Amino acid sequence: MAAPSTVGSFPSPYEIETPPGCEGWEEMYPYYGRFDEERREADEQRFWFWNSMHFPVPMPAFDAICIDTAYQALGSWQNRVFAVPPAMGIDWRCINGYIYISGNPVLDPEKIAERAGHFEKRAGYYYENWDELYGKWRTKMDALIVELGELEVPQLGEYEPDEVAFGDQQTSYVSVLDAYRNALRLHDVMWQHHFEFLLLGYGAYMTFAELCKANLPDIPDQHIAQMVAGLDVLLFRPDAELRRLARLAIDTGVDPAFVEGRSPEEIDAELAQSDAGLAWLAELESVKEPWFHMATGDGLYHTYTSWLDDPRIPYASLIGYVGALKAGENIERPTDHIAQERDRLATEYGALLGDEARQGFDQLLTLSRTVFPYVEEHKFLCDYWFLTSWWNKIREFGDLLVTHGFFEHRDDIFQLSRLEVYSALDELLLTWATGGQPRGPKYWPPIVARRRELLARLGDWTPPPAVGAVPEAVLDPALIMLWGVTTQRVHAWAREQEGGSELTGTAASPGVVEGPARVVKTVGEIGDVRDGEILVCSITSPAWAPIFSKIQAAVTDIGGVMSHAAIVCREYGVPAVVGTGRATSSIKTGQRIRVDGTEGTVTILE
Amino acid sequence: MSATGHTLQLAELRRGDNASFGGKSAALGELIAAGIPVPPGFAVSTSAFRAFVDEAGLGGMIAAEMSRMSPGDVDSVGAASHAISQAMRFAPVPDAVRDEVARRYAELGAEAPVAVRSSALGEDSQDATFAGQQETYLWVRGADHVCDALRDCWVSLYSPPAISYRARLSDGEEPAMGVAVQLMVDAEVSGVLFTCNPVSGDPSMVAVNASWGLGLAVVGGEVTPDDYLVSKVTREVVRAHVHSKDVQYVPDAGGRGAVRVDVPEARRTVACLDAAGLDALVDVAGRIERYFGSHQDVEWAIARDAELPASLFIVQSRPVTAVQRPAGTPAATSAMALVLSAFGAGKKD
Repeated sequence: MAAPSTVGSFPSPYEIETPPGCEGWEEMYPYYGRFDEERREADEQRFWFWNSMHFPVPMPAFDAICIDTAYQALGSWQNRVFAVPPAMGIDWRCINGYIYISGNPVLDPEKIAERAGHFEKRAGYYYENWDELYGKWRTKMDALIVELGELEVPQLGEYEPDEVAFGDQQTSYVSVLDAYRNALRLHDVMWQHHFEFLLLGYGAYMTFAELCKANLPDIPDQHIAQMVAGLDVLLFRPDAELRRLARLAIDTGVDPAFVEGRSPEEIDAELAQSDAGLAWLAELESVKEPWFHMATGDGLYHTYTSWLDDPRIPYASLIGYVGALKAGENIERPTDHIAQERDRLATEYGALLGDEARQGFDQLLTLSRTVFPYVEEHKFLCDYWFLTSWWNKIREFGDLLVTHGFFEHRDDIFQLSRLEVYSALDELLLTWATGGQPRGPKYWPPIVARRRELLARLGDWTPPPAVGAVPEAVLDPALIMLWGVTTQRVHAWAREQEGGSELTGTAASPGVVEGPARVVKTVGEIGDVRDGEILVCSITSPAWAPIFSKIQAAVTDIGGVMSHAAIVCREYGVPAVVGTGRATSSIKTGQRIRVDGTEGTVTILE
Repeated sequence: MSATGHTLQLAELRRGDNASFGGKSAALGELIAAGIPVPPGFAVSTSAFRAFVDEAGLGGMIAAEMSRMSPGDVDSVGAASHAISQAMRFAPVPDAVRDEVARRYAELGAEAPVAVRSSALGEDSQDATFAGQQETYLWVRGADHVCDALRDCWVSLYSPPAISYRARLSDGEEPAMGVAVQLMVDAEVSGVLFTCNPVSGDPSMVAVNASWGLGLAVVGGEVTPDDYLVSKVTREVVRAHVHSKDVQYVPDAGGRGAVRVDVPEARRTVACLDAAGLDALVDVAGRIERYFGSHQDVEWAIARDAELPASLFIVQSRPVTAVQRPAGTPAATSAMALVLSAFGAGKKD
């Protein structure tokens, strides 16, 4: 895989220094997640890129479960179930709290051929029975979310309940450990579901895109996306509900409550003064299940809570929508227009092709439209609904440990790895049972405090987009499909290592604008975005929809033409360049930049 | 055609008139029939050229010179070209031709500026472009000057490259040439468009090259024109490269001919087409492509002091030669086989 670099180079992962005051960061992560000396020879020759798409900020110890489980699941489906011929799974390593990943290629032609046989049978079965299998998947996923909701974290009383003495109920130490193991198990199962269809869904789409580009070499990526994208997608529902509620507020005359700068509590308090307001609040309640299970960010972190947990984001949207409606603006998503345009593009492009290409085009478009809803819907069900609920379930274990003096705050639990939590629970249950003196209350708080401090300091460090060897070519379908990491992209990163005022990425939404940049690194900074600014971020989440009506353009570090930022920018008619690799590290808030969403370039003007 | 009928209105011509009026004039007639805006004008038939040769008694001399030269010998080609050209330049345009041209010219307006372009037989065919045989005289005024330009076009049939070119591929038939005479467009911007991307072969794109002034600068490669790629499907400008356009051709201050001048510094790097201009071009490109049923290479001009779309004129259209075909997809592959090969399985070819 490694090749002598003719296009620039990346730093060796072994030469990267620990930022001052961050010594010992390694203690937060498992032993196998480091660039260790034993594997130096192999690891230095591999291409590793910072997975800023999923892990944009330093990983808390507990949250690292999302690395392990996600790559267990991805690797299982890709490597062990479907046996994707040229690629096994993803390895990860951590540098200064940031996660770098690298694919394991299959190089032996005989092995590739053997895997191709399995792949054709197994993937073929999925494609042929997609609707039926996807129907089953929805049932499994819905049941999993219900099971998570029903999972109880038992409390520890002075005496066990009567049911233990007189009935068959098991003792609490077993129940607590069962509950914790069960929580971990549900998380494992979610990731298993998450990756079951994902690769195949992206694969069909990518094949369609390749056919389009082979026959229509200049077709903009966004036109391909537009032909495939679903119209009635779960992901757009939460925002659609907010728009509906904004209209309702105006229709029932309660709109004066929605004043810029007011907190959700203040707005609710005013609404509660009138019958119309109470009726509106009742309607809001009915929308919350399930639509407020939207996450406030796209990363796999406990800090990305749901709209239920942090209603500031949906309320900011409501205020914005009410204001826009009162100003006479149209806030509707132009669904009819999108539907017409989608079909018009397909018809007109199809008509430009010869008979043979036309046939492939029609078949692949049909297949892509069949499989793509999964790609869009799994995000709401797995990444948002399940995961935000699951973090809250873990917080209940945090509460238990707070009750017994192990922690000060429930969220302290996320500073321990999942195995350390198991260990803390073990000790709690042991000493609760024996009546002995636990060491935890003295042992864990300093560790929690130190790790919080470490994460804050590591957050100020800027990781390079890639380390290790510059690959001659990126062949791993997963890297290309899921991360948009193509040969061209990697070589551009390598060339840009020296810096420079121009960044290149994928042209995701056309148009050229200039304006002040607003660099947003965490979800908490979304509120700082002002009208007319250009959003510069690692990656955006659908939950950020409200700010897209404010911004002039968007630039992201990672993502392809089907990434969320790209989709939303096209909907809002706002230029976007995605996958620049280093926008958040090269651009400072307030700098004037030019975004060319047609060419895929970003220029720092001052 | 009557005995003296050496000319027709461009609008009267069709594809079938290629043999008597040349490819360029016939294509202009087709464009007019398709409702494409073409500057009005008339076409001079090959019969006029033959009358010219006959009346001046040049036939024997031409045949003798041609038989003396050898196509591989540059000097002999040059000598033949020189002798024939000289003889032709001093021969009068026949009165019958002269009168007819003057009458047609008068219909275009008093002392109207016109472009006089050669329209060779077989020229502008899909198979080959007749390099070196495309003389064009711009901003010609007055019937006498039109006739001079007409004769100059005929002379160009015996330019050294034209002689060599014919020697290489033809059957020894007597060469002949038609001529098109069209009202001049006082172009603010002009250029060339292709109804596909000639580089990638993408049929969903219109490729436009544009520069200031008359089209000569772009066609002759004297400037690096602004370069646009526009989607036919959405009208999006997929690529827009604005270059520094340092020179342009404008009508001579004396009112005759076109002269090459510097583009004012401040105007060089200004994009010479806006969204409306591109839109009008893509629109007309689609109509031309549909009418001819094949990809076309089109010369266009946008007139000064007028509003789009009325200001846009097409001055030439011919089939695209040597179009790149997109890589396409392997034949006889099912959609499923293509998906499998994206994952590195299945048959790749």
